[in-house]
Amino acid sequence: MNLTVNGTTHDVESGPLATLLDVLREELGVTSPKAGCEQGGCGACTVLVDGEPQRSCLTPVGALDGASVTTVEGLGAPESLSPLQQAFTHHYAAQCGFCTSGMLIAAEAYLKRGGTDDREAIQEALAGHVCRCTGYVKIIDAVAAVARGDSFDLTVTAPSPGMTNLGGVS
Amino acid sequence: MTQATEVLFPTSADEAVAHFGDGSDVTVVGGGTIVMPEITYGRLAPTKALVLSRAGLDTLDVAGTTVTLGAGLPVERLAALAQDVKALAQCALNVADYEIRLQATVGGNLCAGEGRDAPRGDLQGPLLALDAQARSVGADGESTEPLEGFLGRRAGRLLLDVTFEKPAASAFAAIDYAHTHEYTVLAVSGVRTATGETRLAATGLAGFGTRLRSAEAAASDPERAGAAAVADVSLGDDALASAWYRERTLPVLVHRVLGELEEAA
Amino acid sequence: MKAVGARLPRYDGIGHVTGRTTYVDDVRVSGMLWAKALRSPLHSATITSFDTSKAEAMPGVHAVITHADVPLLEYGHLSALGIPADEPLLAKDEVRYKGQPIAVVAAEDEETAMAAVEAIDIELEERTPLFDIRKAFDADAPKVHQWGNWYTHFEGEMDRRQIRKGSVDDAFDKADTIVQGVYRPAAIEHVPLETQVALVVPEASGRLTIYSCTQALYFSMGVVAAHLQVPLNKLKVVGGTVGGGFGGKVDTASETMCALLAQRSGRPVKWRWTREEEFLCSSTRAPWHMEIADAVTKDGWILGRKMLTLHDSGAYGRFSPYGLTKHSFHHTGAYTIPNLEFDGYVVFTNRVPTTAMRGFGVTSVSFATETHMSRIADVLGLDPYEVRLKNANRIGDTSPNRIVYTDPSTVSVVKALAGGMDVELQPEYAAMSRDPREGDLLPEHLVGQMANPEDH
Repeated sequence: MNLTVNGTTHDVESGPLATLLDVLREELGVTSPKAGCEQGGCGACTVLVDGEPQRSCLTPVGALDGASVTTVEGLGAPESLSPLQQAFTHHYAAQCGFCTSGMLIAAEAYLKRGGTDDREAIQEALAGHVCRCTGYVKIIDAVAAVARGDSFDLTVTAPSPGMTNLGGVS
Repeated sequence: MTQATEVLFPTSADEAVAHFGDGSDVTVVGGGTIVMPEITYGRLAPTKALVLSRAGLDTLDVAGTTVTLGAGLPVERLAALAQDVKALAQCALNVADYEIRLQATVGGNLCAGEGRDAPRGDLQGPLLALDAQARSVGADGESTEPLEGFLGRRAGRLLLDVTFEKPAASAFAAIDYAHTHEYTVLAVSGVRTATGETRLAATGLAGFGTRLRSAEAAASDPERAGAAAVADVSLGDDALASAWYRERTLPVLVHRVLGELEEAA
Repeated sequence: MKAVGARLPRYDGIGHVTGRTTYVDDVRVSGMLWAKALRSPLHSATITSFDTSKAEAMPGVHAVITHADVPLLEYGHLSALGIPADEPLLAKDEVRYKGQPIAVVAAEDEETAMAAVEAIDIELEERTPLFDIRKAFDADAPKVHQWGNWYTHFEGEMDRRQIRKGSVDDAFDKADTIVQGVYRPAAIEHVPLETQVALVVPEASGRLTIYSCTQALYFSMGVVAAHLQVPLNKLKVVGGTVGGGFGGKVDTASETMCALLAQRSGRPVKWRWTREEEFLCSSTRAPWHMEIADAVTKDGWILGRKMLTLHDSGAYGRFSPYGLTKHSFHHTGAYTIPNLEFDGYVVFTNRVPTTAMRGFGVTSVSFATETHMSRIADVLGLDPYEVRLKNANRIGDTSPNRIVYTDPSTVSVVKALAGGMDVELQPEYAAMSRDPREGDLLPEHLVGQMANPEDH
């Protein structure tokens, strides 16, 4: 079967019940989708399939003959980051980075279907994605920033409006 | 095991039916959200897998007041029924998250076996309340029967679609376990038909979704109906909640649903 | 100090958002084998028979490692801190927790590895497990550990961490009220998004390259070297990229097991834990049982504290004695209490061994202390901020283990909290600072504990 990944068409050798996650990571060497749980519970494996976000660990590759898959590598590269990639960098939305690929894909799909900077709507769109490091706030900040059309200075990290400054000693 | 499996991708309902045969030794894969992890973790090693993603069963047909949902219809698509069948749409959108709902199918959700740790089959609730008819094939050919009956004998059957009449009003109430993912502990669906009949069903029980017939008989008195509902069901302890907790919250959900139906009247 | 307060971008930020950050599981080496473990299905059992020959003979299986193959089977991770070894890398005659690794295999692919594990013949004789730390001290409790049911190797071979300061009996005599509380935080899973994973590549020279998700690279290197009984220069550890650890990726075992498999097979071996293994078999933050009794005056001074702590270490010691020690040093929290009687035990149960997790040892007692402070305020009918500010650590006060505070932040933090909650403090309290105690803030019972009492 054929599978187009980030614009390149491959002839897939793995069996039809192999997960798309395994095919991407083990057969095609596309490692941005992660094996966080392999049961669809964490979202670290999410990729775009014909533009829609889908858990690659739950997808039998045989169901995708002729489909077009996009992973984070296809969103942008260091020298040409997408707005979301810039936003995540500037807003400190990644700490360990393991959930980041899935978050970016889900966010990309959300914005493509007209998502706004409404925080509840963003949360709803990213509901399938677990992050253990950031507490989610900055991820939502980053997605909202792109929805608003902000531009990003990547030489500094965005200020944290929520922080309390205890100031000098008393 | 995955190498030894015969994997079939029927491209039409007829082909799916033909490959299914009498259902012996066939593992049906709808979207894959339930079956794939079982394979990954080595708990399931199918000899024959029937993947329905291309079988054209992902239909949502509305003909007048009659609605037919193909077994392969992604759960997310039930959002389209938000106006006409509120309970079904609300229930559907309460399942997992957007990505899972795009992939999970009505058939997979209805036919899911009992979960190892937590209840499955959320859509059974509203569809039982809607008195949906299930069309399936198997060893004894094609048959259409009330969903309630189908659920009890679905081993060896391939579900093709479910059909129901649009209700005059419907309501859905659920308790979700506050968690990273909000799993549904207990849910009640209610329907008032065009002829004024009230139907209630619950999911999150020990076993399948169940009609709450004692509660239906007492529907004019929501307090009594709530208390009666407990008699209709078998409750269990699981990873999400205890039978004790469910026994106390079931009447509350019944009350809520009946209240909403009353308001909609 | 230009970096402090500056908004610096992460050095790995671009890698994270472009999918280029390389985690251990992303490393591709040709000839890589997959590892899987045979794990105990029981909480407590003796191993009565054990045969790996069928697994070893299976096509596609390149190595099976058991306790017999480990040059040094037990190595105490914190032996440098005087905590003796107690845990075998792989189970020998018995298993003490469900999920305990008994054997590991390396095979051509994941499926074959899983089948090989199934093919290991093992017979277990079940024993009654112990799960409740409170019952560990009963005469008829199941015996969990070779040292008994609690750790007995604190300094001087003491069986508990003990702190005595001043006279708690006097304090209880003088108190207007005794306020008691029992606090029992449960175990918490780390749940890093990246499960435990290790990849070991054998080089022709005999050196091993270890790709590890460890949070403590040099520490892990030492542990592997000790188990393998090789000098450090035989190991090259590649680390520094961790998909979340939170304290759970300090315990070092998968690297060692993969190293043994790599040595035996001559091939690179990768072991990536499933999410189920991560939940069921990985170490957790410990459950604790803490009993506090505070002798208090009606105007909110805490004269003395009696405290008993039981720490659930699970089946083996790991870092628990260290965690309990830190706990004991902090058992008065952010507050100064002059008369103390603290006893803490590291208790063994048939649970997965517990380990470090963010603030390990101290978060439990912070939770207990803060809750207890509010309880005191409640019992006495006093304002919870005021009770805290009175008893807050100040410059010159001493900690339970007699460290002199030179820069305590309790007062400013409590005041900031009040501000954040829109609570207006009474002027006397709003004016408080961390300056050394004097006047009304230096009642008689606090004089003795100060570093230089004669100065005040």
